[in-house]
Amino acid sequence: MTFPRSLVLIWLNLVLTLVVAAIGFGLGFAQDLPAQQVILYTLVSVAVMFWVTNTVAVAFERRQREEVVPVPASAGGAGSVWSRNRVLIIAMAVLLVAYLIVTATVPSFRTLSNLIAFLVLEVILVLAFKVSKVFEHGRSAFIGLIVLLALVVISSFTIKGFLSEANIKAILLFAAFLGIACVGQTMVALLGGLDLSIPFVIGAANIGLLYLIGLGVPSPVAAGMVLVIGAAFGFLNGLLSYKLQGQALIMTLGTGFAIAGLVQIITSIGSQFSGNVFGTVPAWLSNLAAMNGRTFGLGVPPTIILWIAIAIIVIVGLRYSTYGRNLYALGGNRRSAKLIGISELKYWTLAYTLSGFFAALTGSLLLGWSGGGFIGAGDQYLFTTLAAVVIGGTSLMGGYGGYGFTVIGVLVLQILSSFLIGIGLKYEWQQFIFGLLILPMVALYGRSPHIRAQV
Amino acid sequence: MSERRSTNTTYLLVPILLIAVLLGTAAIRAPNLVSLPGVGSAIIVAAPLTLATYALMALAVAGRGTVDLAVGPLLAFINVSIVKLNMLGVVTGPFGIFLVALGIGMLYQLAFALIIIFVRVQPIIVALSGFLALTGINLVILKRPGGMAPEWMSSWGLGNTIFSPVLLILVLATAGWLIFTRSSFYANLRLMGYDERAAYTSGVRISVVRIGAHLIAGVYVGLAAICYTALISSGDPTQGTTMTLTAVTALVLGGVALSGGRGGVTGALLGAVNLFLIGYVLATFNFGAQQAFVTQLFYGLILVCSLLLTLLVPVIGRYIWFISPYAAFAVLGCVVAGIMLHVGTAETYLTASAGDGAGVAAAGDLATRFLLLPPSGGPTWTGLAAPTPLQQAVLALVVVLGTLTVVTRMVVAEALSYRVGLFLYVFVGSLILLLLLLAGQSHAIGV
Repeated sequence: MTFPRSLVLIWLNLVLTLVVAAIGFGLGFAQDLPAQQVILYTLVSVAVMFWVTNTVAVAFERRQREEVVPVPASAGGAGSVWSRNRVLIIAMAVLLVAYLIVTATVPSFRTLSNLIAFLVLEVILVLAFKVSKVFEHGRSAFIGLIVLLALVVISSFTIKGFLSEANIKAILLFAAFLGIACVGQTMVALLGGLDLSIPFVIGAANIGLLYLIGLGVPSPVAAGMVLVIGAAFGFLNGLLSYKLQGQALIMTLGTGFAIAGLVQIITSIGSQFSGNVFGTVPAWLSNLAAMNGRTFGLGVPPTIILWIAIAIIVIVGLRYSTYGRNLYALGGNRRSAKLIGISELKYWTLAYTLSGFFAALTGSLLLGWSGGGFIGAGDQYLFTTLAAVVIGGTSLMGGYGGYGFTVIGVLVLQILSSFLIGIGLKYEWQQFIFGLLILPMVALYGRSPHIRAQV
Repeated sequence: MSERRSTNTTYLLVPILLIAVLLGTAAIRAPNLVSLPGVGSAIIVAAPLTLATYALMALAVAGRGTVDLAVGPLLAFINVSIVKLNMLGVVTGPFGIFLVALGIGMLYQLAFALIIIFVRVQPIIVALSGFLALTGINLVILKRPGGMAPEWMSSWGLGNTIFSPVLLILVLATAGWLIFTRSSFYANLRLMGYDERAAYTSGVRISVVRIGAHLIAGVYVGLAAICYTALISSGDPTQGTTMTLTAVTALVLGGVALSGGRGGVTGALLGAVNLFLIGYVLATFNFGAQQAFVTQLFYGLILVCSLLLTLLVPVIGRYIWFISPYAAFAVLGCVVAGIMLHVGTAETYLTASAGDGAGVAAAGDLATRFLLLPPSGGPTWTGLAAPTPLQQAVLALVVVLGTLTVVTRMVVAEALSYRVGLFLYVFVGSLILLLLLLAGQSHAIGV
């Protein structure tokens, strides 16, 4: 934990934290929650809040120290404010106008929660434009966290039961499926590739596992086989696309088609239900992924714990292991990485192997969740894995990002989708809003320099 | 000199080879293809995919790895918009529909270009964003497949003749791109796609060029949507993803480089036709309940194989420099035209001989039917007496040697100079026209 140098800032942070904690405390008792829970949540929020504000303060201080010789205040006044914050002001004004128009025309829109949502959005804009510049790295993570926070605040105000245990569990469970599927996509993206075979592998693993169990293979063995086959398929993917890295997108699409078709042919021979496989899912697999699953007696589906474990391993591994560092080196600059003796083939194929493995794992877990094999189980993951990676802030060109970012992206997507369902929007509207959301999110941190700066 | 020329278009070898094999197989497996309705409906079915591939091609040439994943949903969006507007009675006439379709396509692509230029995010992210947004909004406009296409469009999708408006659109689109390649704007476009920085430093106004490429793509998507609406004569909001995936596959099959700067209308056309033929040929084999899965498997395998083959193209180009794609096109075109001619006319002989009572019992036996069957009831030798076996052998040898000589000479000549190209195109083109005429005749007799 880091503290800012100036004592005033520490006190300011402390006061801020305490005010927030007091509000939470009051709200908690107003909602008639048990006292232990309120105290626990308040303590946690105090710790987190204090840490976050201190980190921001430290970043600010460092920046001020670096800018000992500030840019001479040129014109000053309104002109310079306008020219420096043009985009921000325009964005805020557009939001304000949109809000006013909607409020003026739709009477049912005039509620307190909508006003709060509007204010929160404006604050996000300011934070995203002004504060995020302070962080040199992890700007996307900062913005992602703010959006996450805002989403939670807005949804808990507008949706009844959003913070209920069941809803949080559901959000985390779906986030876990998406998150596990995204592990491979993140690694591959760090190398500058893409893996579009993930949804097909998920679907194939989904029906393949049930088919194997139906053949009489002991279920743990069958699950192991599916995982190994998934990894082998990923290895093949990596090998085939190694020489065609620019077209990895298409290559993995082709292999994905092939594996989905092949598995469907195998499973549907001698069955009149082409495409669907019927059978009984073993109890341990259902328990692993079902909503009412239990982990060693705890009322949490093991998939969530598994995801957290995987996330920690991957994040730490990418950050500290040789494999992780070399992955970044290769993604950042192929040529120099090769010159210091990093085998590109090895890392490329390994990334794809992991991608295949985790896709197969997701497919198996989804089988436990749904209880029936369906080849289309992975369809929605075709672009959402990509969207989660992109929203998190991992560059698709390679070399920048990480799984921690992707976790944020996954949570943003999942909470947003829960929010949209909560306010009664259908699936198609959700997708529409996802699409419109990706662009501004990426535009906030993922802009490439102008061509004249690249010459 | 010759080497350089042959490597310029060597990437076309793979699709040309593939199309020859597929077309030959298709003609033998499903003789229906070689008839006026067969070709007519094939054109109508393949047209939306071809035009969508053109749109992708125009963007791919512009570089920066622009693969517009949203092309399928955009096509579906225009499709459902047309159908919805028609059902509401707002826009029903041909002029209005064309205006709406092309307008939506161009507006979307203009926004795409402006975002790439001014917001400066990677094109694939814009495409992804557009994909999700359009897929969602399509389902809002039209809940499920259905609706009615404009009435004047209903006759387009019948496909009982080759010369449908869809063919006209296709020909105009292709010719439009070919004419466009003559302009200096196209040269700038290719330069930008190949090396954007070089283009910028040599004074090309890359923003304008990029907007232009996107507008062209928008026109193609609009045309594709019109053809698609004519094909299914209703609205379908669900086919966007499939269309995107097939169009991207067709683009790669046609040898267009996704990294930019390489590609043309020939490759895109060949790729789209190839993809259509793959589906067509696979449909002639009966796999029962597994049909869809086998098709999927083969789509994937062929995609992977053709990608791997593009790796071999430079090697092939180095060692077999004298085979130019045009020559390959000519030779294989002759062979395929021969097969199609045979298939197209075989019916005439068959009916004639069947009427004779000589009995073509083994009509299902492919070898007998297409290779060994003597046209007993058909035209007979009139001028000469039947040749002895020795004479036959000598005749065959002379014919084979003569053909080989001509082919080899033409291949080498074509590889070394530019001039023969046009002649070969005309030659093969007239052969195909002849074949279609014959096929039409035989069909008229047969039915």
